[in-house]
Amino acid sequence: MARFSIYIFLFYTCFLNAQVIDPNIIKVQERLDSIEKFSADLELEVAISFINIPNKFAKIVYTKNEDTKVVSDDFVLIPKKGLDVSLNQLFKYPFITVDRGFEERNDKEYKLVNIIPTDKKADFSIASVLIDIENDRIIESEINTKKDGSYLVKMHFDKPSSVLPKQIEVQFEIERIRIPLKYMGKEATIDKKKYKSGEVKTGTIFLNFTYTDIIYKA
Amino acid sequence: MKRLIFAEVFKLFKQGKTYYALIATFLIEVIILFSAYSQGQNVLDILLDNLSQSFHFEGNLLNGNLLIYLILNTLWFHLPLILIIIISGSLTSEYSDRTLLTVMLQPVSKWKFILSKYIVAILFTLVIVAFLAITSFVLSYSLFGRGDLLVFIDTLNFFESADAFYRIKYAFIYGAISMVFLSVVSLTLAIIFEESTKTWITAAFFLILSNLLLKVDFHNDFLNNWLFAKLSDTWQYLFYFEIPWDKIYWNSSIMILYTIITMLIGIVIFNKKDIG
Repeated sequence: MARFSIYIFLFYTCFLNAQVIDPNIIKVQERLDSIEKFSADLELEVAISFINIPNKFAKIVYTKNEDTKVVSDDFVLIPKKGLDVSLNQLFKYPFITVDRGFEERNDKEYKLVNIIPTDKKADFSIASVLIDIENDRIIESEINTKKDGSYLVKMHFDKPSSVLPKQIEVQFEIERIRIPLKYMGKEATIDKKKYKSGEVKTGTIFLNFTYTDIIYKA
Repeated sequence: MKRLIFAEVFKLFKQGKTYYALIATFLIEVIILFSAYSQGQNVLDILLDNLSQSFHFEGNLLNGNLLIYLILNTLWFHLPLILIIIISGSLTSEYSDRTLLTVMLQPVSKWKFILSKYIVAILFTLVIVAFLAITSFVLSYSLFGRGDLLVFIDTLNFFESADAFYRIKYAFIYGAISMVFLSVVSLTLAIIFEESTKTWITAAFFLILSNLLLKVDFHNDFLNNWLFAKLSDTWQYLFYFEIPWDKIYWNSSIMILYTIITMLIGIVIFNKKDIG
């Protein structure tokens, strides 16, 4: 009986190990891994109810295993999350996946997979991604970070064969702020907490890419 | 009339007070520039605190445009106060020195004399606002460069450098209309009170009252659209993301109308006064 129990345990252990990473995720990861470097002109459009800012332009340079660089002559708001076109953040540390079936977007079905990091160093606790299994790419991801709340990233592609998105839409929660604009005198030592209304709003930023150079793995 | 105006201009630039006003304006500007530059980053940090959780910032917001905007804010109180003192002083000093009596003994029409005072007061106000604008543009741009302007009016509004310059330029122009009104009021008060201290106190009270009433919501369209105090912040409309030009034109037209009415009241009172 004891021997039989051990066999059963070993059988399930092997079965679990074989199921930890979804094959579609591996395909997406391999496709994204093929990009060594890219550069693009970036147009940033901010849609937050209490911020009015004209569309801004910047240049973005991505090199594999390095931080993405964004440079601009203008003052630009660069989103901390969502610029990770290579989804490096998701795949940086070991993870397991859970198949959650299919979900529909614009009359098309996409595979929903949860990504759960197994390394404590990962800065997110769980991510739900929608995979276009025909074209092996992620079209939507909702990432729950450990420190910065959750955010939703939608990726739009211009061609079925494109690996990199034409547009990224990042939705996140942001707290509204109310401050009188008086810089002189004691107002300069304003109490931050006092003037925060605590009202939480959803903000969206649209990132439009025009790729100038993409270098793939040889 | 022309000679009277020239005589008034001559008197204005002959008196030391005029130069004190120019120096005071310049000093206020320099103090604002340096105090804002040293404290401005803290205020920007507070304004952008929530955004910093979601965004990195590329570029410098503590630049010449922001500093000119801060100098522009002297139109609320500092500049009108200087103008009130100088302009009302141009008449009260004539009462106290009795030079007014000497002038009135000449074949000079009373209404022409006081009208020329009003005209010179308006010109002087425009010169002072232009002086403030030019020196603030030159100082701020040469010392701190150009860049995007961030203004908080209900929402956080970001303006690109060229757009910021355009808005600030028009803000000075429309701000000058409010300054002219306050100058004309102070001269009219000088006609009424004759004595400098009383005039300064009432003119300063009028200025403070205007600033206080501006913040009051009367829940009444007539008062909110026609009360003089509600028109004194017209230049601030230039910093709404979408400039409400109709509102600006309306407010400025009413302000000009009030300025003319105040002048007419002053001329009538002065005409009826017994100088001597």
